[in-house]
Amino acid sequence: MKKGTLIIIGILVLLVIWGFSGYNSLVSLNEATDAQWAKVETQYQRRFDLIPNLVNSVKGILTQEQKVFGDIAEARTRYSGATTPNDKALAASQVESAFARLLVVMENYPQLQSAGNVRDLMTQLEGTENRISVERTRFNDIVRDYNVSVKRFPKNILAMLLGFGERAYFEAVNGAETAPKVELQ
Amino acid sequence: MKRFALALIFLVPGLVLSYTSPGKPNGFVNDFAGILKPETVSLLNQKLEQFSQNTGNEIAVVTISKLEDETIETYAEKLFQEWGIGKEKEPARTTGIVQSGGDNGLLLLISLEDREMRIEVGYELEPVVTDMESGRIIREILAPAFQEKDYDGGVTRAIDTIVGLIGGEEMAPSSNSGSINWFKFFPYAIFIFIYLASILSRSKSWWAGGVIGGILGVIFYSGIIFIGIYILIGLLFDFLVSRSYNKAVARGGIPPWWIGGGGIGGGHSSGFGGFGGGMSGGGGASGRFRLFGGCADKAQVINI
Repeated sequence: MKKGTLIIIGILVLLVIWGFSGYNSLVSLNEATDAQWAKVETQYQRRFDLIPNLVNSVKGILTQEQKVFGDIAEARTRYSGATTPNDKALAASQVESAFARLLVVMENYPQLQSAGNVRDLMTQLEGTENRISVERTRFNDIVRDYNVSVKRFPKNILAMLLGFGERAYFEAVNGAETAPKVELQ
Repeated sequence: MKRFALALIFLVPGLVLSYTSPGKPNGFVNDFAGILKPETVSLLNQKLEQFSQNTGNEIAVVTISKLEDETIETYAEKLFQEWGIGKEKEPARTTGIVQSGGDNGLLLLISLEDREMRIEVGYELEPVVTDMESGRIIREILAPAFQEKDYDGGVTRAIDTIVGLIGGEEMAPSSNSGSINWFKFFPYAIFIFIYLASILSRSKSWWAGGVIGGILGVIFYSGIIFIGIYILIGLLFDFLVSRSYNKAVARGGIPPWWIGGGGIGGGHSSGFGGFGGGMSGGGGASGRFRLFGGCADKAQVINI
């Protein structure tokens, strides 16, 4: 009888210890995911800071293409209105596709490619696109670690009890996976 | 060893399959494609070694013959991560030994057959070597030189430019002159610590630590009470290291690294010690180069 209670207490203590460490690891993974998402957003922000510069320096020449500029402006507004990561990701993809169209349009104007400031802006944007893709890939890697940890037995029970849900991967939306590629030749 | 390697494979499943590592770095310059003259390689290695010692920044030059299925951007990023070019970023709490911010590496990658090149910049160097700067180096220095197959000249000039760019950047300034002395003293302090630990832990005596403590107390005399405190600290130190050493030996294991003796040796070897574990986030720029008479060159490649 007494031995039995001792064993039960022992098991309970072990369970509590396991619960603590499991909870802590879930918290750290969750935080790491948030931190990585913040890095993605930093790069998005950088892109948004760069795009107006580019737009301003080519607007004067591309007077025929007002629709593209309208699309970009609209997507930017939507991004600044977005609050959840999913909305932001969606809005960012829209910016991407509008921006890709601008680049295609720009290819028809060879005089733009030779302008030094346009070329420098393009280099910066290219760099930003690459940074975004790097940080996004890392974000997905971390989300995968997190999701595996949330879904696997026996931690999934713990995750369920403590309210750790599955997190969404970043998925490129309709055609946005082709980041604007800039050929400067 | 074999088992260890196997275990590693299971531990690191994430190393994406399509990326194949070109191998281990053996120096700052790794000419896997074999396009640089040996003199250039050793000259650049010297320069970059010197630069790394002076500023802590690590610059790697890598040439490969082919990218296979990767783009040059993803390849550069993965290679950067695999080798860990640049110093490792210190967590904020160990601010004592931070030398610059970490993540201060830079990779110049050239893929010969694809005629592509990339400058991948570590996080902390991004403000110094901006995308615009890397883009200009590629367009104005590397591409024209490579067009005339002057790989040595192009790479050397590009590295000089990069070194010049970063060299203008001051490393994280120390708060006052006192801390600089401490930085200089720090390696010696570790050395003395390990030395003392290794002797005291192996000695049978329990009092030697106290004696050394007492002597230190006399040297840095600042009141009779402090001599007592030094003696006590010495005794405690002796006790701790002896216990730890005996435990390790009793287990048949190797004593912890800070007890020294064996393990940690090799300190000042002249060989390349590997990179520091820095990270990059895709900063930098890529570019392409053409060769004069591209068609003829292609025919040559096919003939080979």
